[in-house]
Amino acid sequence: MIDMKFNDIIRSNRKLENSRIENPYKIAVISNIMVHQIKDILEYSLRTEGIYTDVKIGDYDNIVQDSMNFKDKNSVIIFWELSNIVDNLQWKVEQFDDVKYQQIINKVKQEIDIVLNNLKSTPLIIFNLFSSLVFRKTSLRDSKFSLMADELNSYLLSLNKNNLRFINIDKTISLISINKSIDLRYYLSSKTLYKTDFYKSYIEHIKPIFLSLNGKTKKALILDCDNTLWKGVLGEDGFDKIKIFQEIQYMALDLSKNGVIIGLCSKNNQEDVDNVIKNHKSMILRDDDIIIKKVNWNDKVSNLKAISKELNIGLDSMVFVDDSDFEINLVRENLPTISTYQISKSEYLHTNMVESIKNEFYQNSLTYEDKKKKDMYKAQIQRVEAEKDIGNIEDYLKSLDLIINVYIDDKSLVSRLSQMTQKTNQFNLTTKRYSETEISTFIEDNNLIVIGIGVKDKFGDNGIVGLSILNIENNIAEIDTLLMSCRVLGRNIEYKFMDIIIFILKNKKINICKAKYVKTYKNAQVADLFDGYEFDKDLYSETESNYKLDIDKYQSKNFNYIGVEYGK
Amino acid sequence: MENKVKQIIADVLNVEVSELNGNSSPDNIDVWDSLNQMNIIVALEEGFNIMFSDEQIIEMLNIDLIILAVSEQVK
Repeated sequence: MIDMKFNDIIRSNRKLENSRIENPYKIAVISNIMVHQIKDILEYSLRTEGIYTDVKIGDYDNIVQDSMNFKDKNSVIIFWELSNIVDNLQWKVEQFDDVKYQQIINKVKQEIDIVLNNLKSTPLIIFNLFSSLVFRKTSLRDSKFSLMADELNSYLLSLNKNNLRFINIDKTISLISINKSIDLRYYLSSKTLYKTDFYKSYIEHIKPIFLSLNGKTKKALILDCDNTLWKGVLGEDGFDKIKIFQEIQYMALDLSKNGVIIGLCSKNNQEDVDNVIKNHKSMILRDDDIIIKKVNWNDKVSNLKAISKELNIGLDSMVFVDDSDFEINLVRENLPTISTYQISKSEYLHTNMVESIKNEFYQNSLTYEDKKKKDMYKAQIQRVEAEKDIGNIEDYLKSLDLIINVYIDDKSLVSRLSQMTQKTNQFNLTTKRYSETEISTFIEDNNLIVIGIGVKDKFGDNGIVGLSILNIENNIAEIDTLLMSCRVLGRNIEYKFMDIIIFILKNKKINICKAKYVKTYKNAQVADLFDGYEFDKDLYSETESNYKLDIDKYQSKNFNYIGVEYGK
Repeated sequence: MENKVKQIIADVLNVEVSELNGNSSPDNIDVWDSLNQMNIIVALEEGFNIMFSDEQIIEMLNIDLIILAVSEQVK
């Protein structure tokens, strides 16, 4: 998109309106300057990522009022331009005495408070930090203008709100230069400060936030070895002659600590690579950091497919890094949903690529489960081994000592529960994405029951892996959300989970439970789940099936080898 | 060049090129408001890699005059 002309973006964006969905992702941009050119660029950028987005632009210089009008949006972006807080403040402010200066500061702080309060239930606010860069780029002295930006920013940064993300727009401006970012002709004539090139780069910069909130963050980083993790070809140059590429290895290590799955996909002899990982003095990634290895002479497309299958993650959740034209093109052609990066043989060129790769894995918040994920996937591989030894699936499950922990309306789980709604695509009946703020509200709401479940067995604790949100109205329950992480599938947990849901509803004297399956392109595996629970199928169409259950008639599948504990 | 100018204007206004002629202007095309006038200027400057002078911007009152302004810059 960065390379597209503005009119081409407008035209292409209009074409995408054919794929409009019933409930688009809604963003408002509110500002005290003119920013209307961001609309098509932002819509186009997110629509081509599979997030059908509608953008509304607020009125000119109407931030406070607009924050009232746009409460119901999924996200609000705020462009609050220091130079237009008072008309042409960039010239006037240096003449202000302390009293006048302080008045302005206080007024803006007060307005910030009102705006953030109005938007307190909005799942995401993107707030651009105040900047004095454009109007003080060469000034040697401290200026009141810069001071004011600093003071307001330190106020903003002191606010602790979990729906608020601050963006330093100076990063975008310095990336593409001041001259490409702003046009003072239009600023003076019509208060339009930013050029289209600025918006293109700015949106590229903030896009990972939206991808993360819409379940599109990548999950696994798959790396080639020769000329990717190190300079040189192990089979030809030998153990002593290869030189470790530090930057990419530190990046992978860093990502693995934050819950990203690290894997290898390399044409090499496995024992040679294992020897480097274990014994090479300069290696940074070690066995403990690598979850899966496909080091063999098979083609990489087959290996990547195998990785996707074994880890039970979609190909579109994977990022693949290799140095070879041949491998990169092969993967791009055969597995176009995998994100591919071709790494340069020149080490100094790695920096830019590493930053882009990191953004593919951006997450709005990290949870306990993310930090433990490495251990969980290792336990998963042990389970697969144990299953092989035992053979019979039922005997195997009995041997696991499975226990479900049930947490009802538990506030300490908000960030993990919200994250699961954003990341779970396959075992997810309605695929509704909820922010932390929304989940908190649900927990407090007496008509809603938020049930989180954790699963553990003798190999380890999987953490919180399931969520159901029940909406109760007039003694009828409706399952608004039912989802489980793929890590625990295949163990009949889903049946025990429904036993638990029904048990909770019975205790509340509820007789009827309604449920719904809403089809997405990823959740086909649960299309018949409610049929499996023996709910009665009601109205259904291509995209949606409705169900109803008379709770007295519910039949448990009696998987008694799964224990249940409440609130531990 | 004329066709490229018309294509850019048509894209911004979301109309067909065939609906535009030399006399087309904010006076006779509903969606051509002041916001779109600016979008047209921005898109033309980007599309032709040019920069209009203040005087030119003021005089860009219809498509013929816009084409004239672009041709002055492109030459």
